[in-house]
Amino acid sequence: MKRCLAVLLALALAGCSSSGGPTGKNSTSAPPLVIHAVDAGTFQEDFNPYHLEGVNFGTSGMIYETLMYFNKLKPGEIVPWLALKYEWSDKGKSLTFTLRPGVKWTDGQPFTADDVAFTFQMLKDHAQLNTSALEIKDAQALAPDKVRVDFKTTSYAKLYNIAGGSPIVPKHLWDKQQDPATFTNAKPVGTGPYKLSKFSAQLYEMEKNPSYWQPGKPEVPLLRFPAYTANALQTALQQGEVDWAGAFVPDIQKIFVQGKPEQNKFFFPPEGLVSLLPNLTNPVLAKPEVRQAMSLAIDRDKIVRVAERGYTKVAHPTGVPMPGGEAYVPPQYKDAAFQVDVAKAKELLKGVNPADLKFTLLVPSPFTDWVNAAQLIREDLAKVGITVETRGVAFQDWVSKVGKGDYDLSIRGAEAGPTPYFQMRFMLFGGLAKPVGEAASGNYERWKDAETDRLIEEYAATDDLAEQQKATQGLGRIMVEKLPQLPLFYSPGWAQFRTTKYVGWPSEQDPYAMPSPYASPDAAVVLLHLKPAVK
Amino acid sequence: MRFLARRLGFYLLTAWAAVTLNFLIPRLMPGDPVELLVARMKGNVDPAAIDAMRRAFGISDANLWQQYLDYLGNLAQGELGRSITFFPAEVSTVIAGSLPWTVGLVGVATLISYLMGTSLGVLMAWKRGTWLDGVLPAATFMHAVPYFWVALALVFVFGVTLQWFPVSRAYGLDVMPGFTGEFAGSVVYHAALPAVTIVVASMADRILGMRNVMVTTLGEDYVVMAEAKGLTSRRVMWAYAARNAILPNITSFALSLGFVVGGSVLTEIVFSYPGIGSMLLKGVENEDFPLMQGIFLVISLAVLVANFLADLAYVVLDPRTRQESE
Repeated sequence: MKRCLAVLLALALAGCSSSGGPTGKNSTSAPPLVIHAVDAGTFQEDFNPYHLEGVNFGTSGMIYETLMYFNKLKPGEIVPWLALKYEWSDKGKSLTFTLRPGVKWTDGQPFTADDVAFTFQMLKDHAQLNTSALEIKDAQALAPDKVRVDFKTTSYAKLYNIAGGSPIVPKHLWDKQQDPATFTNAKPVGTGPYKLSKFSAQLYEMEKNPSYWQPGKPEVPLLRFPAYTANALQTALQQGEVDWAGAFVPDIQKIFVQGKPEQNKFFFPPEGLVSLLPNLTNPVLAKPEVRQAMSLAIDRDKIVRVAERGYTKVAHPTGVPMPGGEAYVPPQYKDAAFQVDVAKAKELLKGVNPADLKFTLLVPSPFTDWVNAAQLIREDLAKVGITVETRGVAFQDWVSKVGKGDYDLSIRGAEAGPTPYFQMRFMLFGGLAKPVGEAASGNYERWKDAETDRLIEEYAATDDLAEQQKATQGLGRIMVEKLPQLPLFYSPGWAQFRTTKYVGWPSEQDPYAMPSPYASPDAAVVLLHLKPAVK
Repeated sequence: MRFLARRLGFYLLTAWAAVTLNFLIPRLMPGDPVELLVARMKGNVDPAAIDAMRRAFGISDANLWQQYLDYLGNLAQGELGRSITFFPAEVSTVIAGSLPWTVGLVGVATLISYLMGTSLGVLMAWKRGTWLDGVLPAATFMHAVPYFWVALALVFVFGVTLQWFPVSRAYGLDVMPGFTGEFAGSVVYHAALPAVTIVVASMADRILGMRNVMVTTLGEDYVVMAEAKGLTSRRVMWAYAARNAILPNITSFALSLGFVVGGSVLTEIVFSYPGIGSMLLKGVENEDFPLMQGIFLVISLAVLVANFLADLAYVVLDPRTRQESE
């Protein structure tokens, strides 16, 4: 009788939507989780974790794992994963990992130091796989559970890329591959909590790895990844087909929440910073008082409310993602916040010829929220006598123009990274600035400041957390006082999830991992936290 | 025969021009695929790795002339290169995976629309002045309505509101592709709504075109004579009037058959259909030169072949072209 009830209950919970349903299987099996990670019309059969775009989501994290896990929502928090600990030597040019014992590949072979050494050797030999540009000199296994990687330069700041961003692949299968750069790895064998069980151009599935090294985990037995294009996903969210998605939804209350906030949840933590970029090679924008005045004139609250639909928050003046980044913010600016002050802005602009205050604001037209933000900025700046003409251009054109410094003002995002240092380096490091006309790959405003570069180098030269934080605080102070960029708001990470089948999702109170299904390896960490919903 | 040889020569020249334009157009677009990739990867790629990636994608800094020669050489060997969006998948694999969906959906829909539209046009011209004239304003309206609007309306009514038909994909998620009845049924079910869109939106053209030419033809002396001879009206309608009136429609049909391969990009996007139109969009968004070149090449060749077939059909249908060639 009890069993009967359980079946009935399970049926009621699953709703009558799914075909097949739980009738065929025994009543104890938990339902599959349907995931949308990235928009795709069809999938290619590619499970090589070192491919950037052709690779299917879940390859890194669910199938292949990294040595450590870095929680970007708690900068500085490092969780041992395939490695138990790491140790720097030779002034940051040598890194030794002690590996977790008892880990096995899904084909039954043991995971050893040889696999780790092989992976880093592969990155060294095939530069196109080495997307983090690690300067690897050598990698060798010292013992079955000890491996040392040597670098040409001091690499403290690259710990995340080495330990958190390089999935380990099995030597015994990959060393037969002539060219790992074009290897599509249709039958992936990893150490992760899941293995590929089904693949077609419209759907792939991963089933739980029964001999996973975290006992009793994962509790979700089956993951389904259907191909959803951007518009098909909106319908699917509305109809409740998807359990976990990472997408922008125009009207989330109506389309997704549908009046059930306890069941249909979303969490959009900061993933990076969106700023107004002044081209500092423009002699007028190079004047600090002009940038100061602009910053005082812009009503960021309104931008967040109107252009961003309240999905995100106004940035901290340092640009450091909050909450989470408190330790990286200079103490005197801990409670700082942007204020609108039109009178003071006008005062600051007194010494500038009003005829010079004419700029074009370049935005990529597909980013409609930024286009709206640009309109609001134009209105705000008009109030202090700055004429702005907003211009929407194709995405390609925008990337190319901003890269080459061929603009006055633009809007651009910077990824937060495992600590705010990564974001600051991308935004401010003098080494990334290129002369106008040459494509830069960071520091698009072309900020050149000896103190900034010294602080960035200080961070990179130490493994000491407190000193790294001090250097980043210095960069935060420069952001507030010299305004090389004008922070606007945080770019949100998208995550929508339903608690009908599983609970234990990340939240603002417990941000144990990035909640977006497209964040890897974070998504695997989330899956390991999920538990079946019991009613 | 001389007629055909001349046409063939013309087509070869056109093919060369198309291949060359194919090569040039993507290169005239602003930006660079690797820069775009880095912008999209939002910091997951270190700028220092950009050069290595550029090499891996086979993007060379060689001068345009050298690139052109390499391109022609590869093309001669049937080598279309690797896609950047789906790296490292070959462009030919990507095209082979999406072309059948498009040809199946758009091809069948175009054929249906042509047959129905032409017959209806003939009938309407023949029976003008009857209730059939009522179709005319409806056809004019459909002729003016944009394609994707029909698609969106159908999705909203039959897909989202009534939920009679699926609104995306080419087959159901729980069906494994293969030669099974279940799979075939699922494919037809999923193709229904997009196919109806294409038929509805393109049929009006055929109806109007066929009717107008047919009305003119019906006034010709030989039609009057056929009627005077006392032939059955069915015979006069089809063998005398329609056979002559259909010539311009054949040309437009041939052209649309060629464009079938290009897919109806908008229909495929609205219905998330995994055809070549969606692939082309993806290629353009990502500045995927090799993929765009491959797809454009297939489209231009298909248009040329279709035109050539139309020429052949003319030779069969219109004795005058045969006369000239002798």
